[in-house]
Amino acid sequence: MFRKWMICGAALLLMVTATRAETIEDKVAVCAGCHGADGKPVDKTIPTIWGQQAGYLYIQLRDFKRGDRKSDIMQPIATQFERDDMLAIAEYFSQKPWPDLGQPRAPKDVAAKAVSASASVGCPACHLDRFQGDGTVPRLAGMGRDYLAKTIADFRNRARGNNPGMSDLMLATSPDDLAALVEYLAGL
Amino acid sequence: MYVKGLAAFAAALGVGLLSGAAVAQEVKQEKQSVLGNATVSPVTQEQLNAADKNAKDFLLTNGNYAQTRFYPGKQIGRDNVKNLHVAWIFQTDVKESLETSPIVVDGVMYVTTSFSHVYALDAKTGQQLWHYAHKMGPITVYCCGPNNRGVQVLGDRVYLATLDSKLMALNAKTGEVVWTTNIADPELGYSETMAPTVVKDKVLIGTNGGEYGIRGFVRAYDAKTGKQLWNFNTIPENSVGVWATKDATGRDMHRNIQAEKDVLAKIGDPYAKLGGGVWQNPSVDLATNRIYFVVGNPSPDLDGSNRPGDNLYTNSLVSLDLDTGKYVCHFQYIAHDVWDLDAVSPTVLVNVKDKDGKTIPGVIHAGKTGHIYVHDRKDCSLIRFSEAMVPQENMWVLPTKEGARMLPGANGGVEWSPIATDPGQELAYAINLHQPMTYHVESSAYPNGKLWLGGAFKVIPSEKQSGNITAVNYNTGKIKWQVKTPEPMIGGILATAGGLVFTGEGNGKFAAYNSSNGKELWSFRAGAGVNAPPSSYMIGGKQYVVVGAGGNTQLDYKRGNNIIAFTLD
Repeated sequence: MFRKWMICGAALLLMVTATRAETIEDKVAVCAGCHGADGKPVDKTIPTIWGQQAGYLYIQLRDFKRGDRKSDIMQPIATQFERDDMLAIAEYFSQKPWPDLGQPRAPKDVAAKAVSASASVGCPACHLDRFQGDGTVPRLAGMGRDYLAKTIADFRNRARGNNPGMSDLMLATSPDDLAALVEYLAGL
Repeated sequence: MYVKGLAAFAAALGVGLLSGAAVAQEVKQEKQSVLGNATVSPVTQEQLNAADKNAKDFLLTNGNYAQTRFYPGKQIGRDNVKNLHVAWIFQTDVKESLETSPIVVDGVMYVTTSFSHVYALDAKTGQQLWHYAHKMGPITVYCCGPNNRGVQVLGDRVYLATLDSKLMALNAKTGEVVWTTNIADPELGYSETMAPTVVKDKVLIGTNGGEYGIRGFVRAYDAKTGKQLWNFNTIPENSVGVWATKDATGRDMHRNIQAEKDVLAKIGDPYAKLGGGVWQNPSVDLATNRIYFVVGNPSPDLDGSNRPGDNLYTNSLVSLDLDTGKYVCHFQYIAHDVWDLDAVSPTVLVNVKDKDGKTIPGVIHAGKTGHIYVHDRKDCSLIRFSEAMVPQENMWVLPTKEGARMLPGANGGVEWSPIATDPGQELAYAINLHQPMTYHVESSAYPNGKLWLGGAFKVIPSEKQSGNITAVNYNTGKIKWQVKTPEPMIGGILATAGGLVFTGEGNGKFAAYNSSNGKELWSFRAGAGVNAPPSSYMIGGKQYVVVGAGGNTQLDYKRGNNIIAFTLD
């Protein structure tokens, strides 16, 4: 995993410094290095961005640039973009088909536990029916399992600081319930 | 473009294109607007003023400017409601939370759906006349569902407020856009789900965003041009208030006033990001030219540590002058709220008995606390509050990191659901939730328009939830009758001169009850949650009752996309 990250990161740094993006295709070329040329991320801790909600993708790029969301890889990339670029990139990826990562459905008992935990803090109120997301709220259904687990952990310890409301909700939910949620969401 | 893009980044990485198209698991249906050429009758201000006496139309979201939701027609009554049957069903293109209040103008019905779509329908047949599919901006930030609660018509224009915080006028005949005005920046947490109230060429609108650190407002826009006429900030620059230690019912809220004063000295007045959304329509007193509305919770919802003071005018009844937007009076139910038990359900203007038994103009509001509050319209003062319609326990325990149990849960009591009244019986009808919850507090800095709850309210899975329909005598505060329902209720209710109340449940049941004793007289299974307020109207000498059955995001009730009209043989 470490090796994959190194390659992915090195490729990106080369591209960021070597090219000046012009067209939307040029601007998004860098993304495939980690997020996948076919929409399937090259590493399991990297999020799916194909078919993701445009508003959410824009806000993440904005937050990387502002430094509200930390990432040694994403910050230098986002820094070169203006708001219109970010909106265009977000729209571009939102129009791509969501990739099937082939993750199995959660067993019934795990799903039941996840649904109960979700109802308890009201996840569907923002992520909507079947966790499809909308606007600035991301789709979670079918997202990579390891990325979901890492994100939840990062929310819980506030390493991911650009949505404290999510940190609050994750902190109010037990690790057991969150583990069930990860499995359930990944398998949707 | 698509192939070129793929080729570009594949080449850049020195890898070939992968075979096999990725398949989307879910695709949201994108619909285009369908313009029409409907025959419509322009709505005059005089018609709107007299809406309370008009059984033919249903002109305002809550029936009339007083928002009584009392329909004056009585063809459908206690004796014949058992014969009520489906007249038509219209299926919208959007299968998501449905909170619309159908408006009916001379045989044309206007309904809305989630994501700010509008449909004009033939109210007799359900046939679509036109469909406005709002092209949503990429940035929407909203809590509790992509809802829309309806439109209002004045002249030949239909007024709509959208999820991406725009105010629009549509042509009532065709569905074409006449003008669009940006209300506020959605990137900072502003959104719109309420129906506008249009009166005297002004379009009145509040804003959502109390969960995102906005500064709330109510505004008036020129109905002809969309130009802003006045703005009232629901959070004044001096939001500190009187350091109230008790709520409207006299219960201690366990505030640490000295600690708050210390924070105030350090950070100053927190008014700029203090929340105070306005979720529902104001009522309009045409005689005094005043409006009355309620203001929602402070931001962040559960963490009061960095918002010292009473947080005026959150959780308050507020009255303004209609022409100028100037403050007239207010009454705060819960100062420095840390439970999100705010004021959401729309106000209703009725004559009430004051403490001496004298009949005076009153204004009533049903709270998330489960009380119906009765006020003097002149100065907003509280005359009385009703018996609690839902169990109350451990009020007002302060939220903790681990979670403190308190009833009601944060959804109420009465959520945004409008109440109905029957002035002849001196009764107010409210639908309630009972959801035992624990309240958790966490502290974080203002997150630039992101969700800012300051903790969490958690349903306790092991405890039974329920709902109820409650009739309260607003002149005594006593509960006249109550019908228990298996699930918490959200949506709305309609009372009629036929001696009935109509309301729906999340399990798809839509029913009529005797408005004097709560006896169930008729019911129908809609197949999806009936979580929208019903309306009623007449065409060709026949009375119809109409309601949306599309479920609810906030409580995750089964989604659907039906508008269902009922009539007698």
